[in-house]
Amino acid sequence: MKKNILLLLILISVNSSFSQFVISNGKSTLEISSNFSGFYNYRSLKSGEVDASKNRFKLRDAQLGINGRIGNDFELSLKMDFADMAANSINTVIDPENPGLLNANVTYKGLKFMDVEMGYGKLYYSRNSMIPIENSAYWQSAEITRGSVFSVRDVGVTFIKNFWKQRANAYLGAYSGLGELSLAGDNDPSGKLEYIGRMDVSYPSRYRYTEIDERHTPIPMIQFGIAGRYANKKLPVGTAFPTNATSSYGLKVIDGERYIYGLDVAFQYMGFSGQFEIHQMKSKPQNPNDALFQNYTLNQTNGYILSGGYIAQLNYYIKDWRTIVSARYEELDLNDLVVGNARKFSPAIGYKLKGSGAMVKFQYFNILREESIDTQSWKEQFRLGFQFQLK
Amino acid sequence: MIYNKYIFLGLTLFSLTTNAQKANKLKPTKFVAVTIPEPSDICYSNKSNTFFIVSDTGVLYETDKDCKVLRKQAQDGTDFEAVYSDENFVYAVDESNRTIYKYDITSLKLIKYYSIPYDGARNKGYESFDFNKTTNKYALLTESNPVLLFELDSDFKITNQTDLSKIASDISSARFYDGFLWLLSDEDMMLLKLNPTTYEVITKWSLPVINPEGLAFDKDGNILISCDDMQRVYYFKNPEKK
Repeated sequence: MKKNILLLLILISVNSSFSQFVISNGKSTLEISSNFSGFYNYRSLKSGEVDASKNRFKLRDAQLGINGRIGNDFELSLKMDFADMAANSINTVIDPENPGLLNANVTYKGLKFMDVEMGYGKLYYSRNSMIPIENSAYWQSAEITRGSVFSVRDVGVTFIKNFWKQRANAYLGAYSGLGELSLAGDNDPSGKLEYIGRMDVSYPSRYRYTEIDERHTPIPMIQFGIAGRYANKKLPVGTAFPTNATSSYGLKVIDGERYIYGLDVAFQYMGFSGQFEIHQMKSKPQNPNDALFQNYTLNQTNGYILSGGYIAQLNYYIKDWRTIVSARYEELDLNDLVVGNARKFSPAIGYKLKGSGAMVKFQYFNILREESIDTQSWKEQFRLGFQFQLK
Repeated sequence: MIYNKYIFLGLTLFSLTTNAQKANKLKPTKFVAVTIPEPSDICYSNKSNTFFIVSDTGVLYETDKDCKVLRKQAQDGTDFEAVYSDENFVYAVDESNRTIYKYDITSLKLIKYYSIPYDGARNKGYESFDFNKTTNKYALLTESNPVLLFELDSDFKITNQTDLSKIASDISSARFYDGFLWLLSDEDMMLLKLNPTTYEVITKWSLPVINPEGLAFDKDGNILISCDDMQRVYYFKNPEKK
């Protein structure tokens, strides 16, 4: 009985809505949307751990979005999250998956042969990070693509080209390279940018950046993507990155050169869908005493460290029940100089309420193995929340 | 093993979902790849024995029976999602701006445009347009959430509306043909035949194509379906014509 009351309280107290309205003058349109979501989180702590502060209700999203189009030439996207802004004004560390300002960019389509996007928003690098999590059964992205290992948002300019009947997409861009912290205005003391490129090809038709095959596609569809990014942010002597720029793993930006390569594959057929994504980072800190070298000598490290990991996810959409069933396995090796890697398994279920677009989402986290430089106080985590959509 | 439990649960859920009654499947007799980007709707012109196709890029095309472009008319700043033609005019519907553009069928010159406001997301606006000879009213349908069928008089004033959300997840095209209303659902990949006044579903067929967006009947009653993502037009025999 107590469990039922708790579940009812969760469903009533934390909810999500997404509604959209359009204003048009016959040539231009402005679309206003909003999104509220929240969940209850419970952690099963390891023996001896006492901090249960993550057992809590959380307002995840309180978003306002504006999308505009002026004729055929300009599109704008502005999306902010008041829940994140409130949290970030209290906390000292910004959650990279919930940074407050989510999008603020303009796309110019007037060149016809390619589009140019200017401003702040999602980076065209990792397919997984480009998918709106609102369309997924998950509450949280895989660790490697949620912005703590490499940035998933930044300020800059992107050139976008699609061809072969939109089956192929190419992206090339230059960015400040500090991720969400680029919004502070200044670059780091190196003054250097980060460069990112991505190319994906799908068959037999255009494949949008989606995770779930809600239509039960009758013909198998597949997409391959390759991506790379490069930054050379060697800091001048006596200078440092802005606070929290490197993130808790110390990898998001490094004092030196860094290459990242990524490869992804996605498929969907008859309600089944799957995504696989792998990334490898080669970091070359300029300082031999950099903490990333884990006290190894230059002769032992050859002046670089490798990090990386992969995500494998399978989903099935039960159309008659309007239910998403997903399972995700991920591995993350933060530093090849440290033995071992982290492994997580995370299934999730999303149940869409009929006619309203509302969704109840449940995600289970299970840490199968940890890397010694990134240990957690918990082994399992349960996250349950409710969505209510008006479209 | 914890994984065995998940596999068992997944297989059980899948087996339970496969018991639903399935609609008959229509198989295409052929398809053509079209040069028109994102062909979002297609209609047949009895007057010229040609087809009109509209594109998301805001262009109205006239094509031959093999969908080869004969001529075109661009409308700046539009996202055409529906098209219909009668003896004298072609009508192209802009989903985003909620506007119907009326062109002279001979010259393709813009005659007039009608703004018909509708709230909701930019890409959840008007998706289908046709004329119902049974009721002597135009029918203008929204895509989804909800699927609304608006009946319009000759001045394009809304006289009635019906919520069709229960019959399909979305409606991507509508045609009144042979005394019935035929609807196409993109998300459900379904063709439906309805009573033209009560809008009750009489029959439905599943379609083995990706992203069916446009529906037309040629002079012999054969069905043409345009697919946006595939940039193709598929040809089907009319299952109701023996």
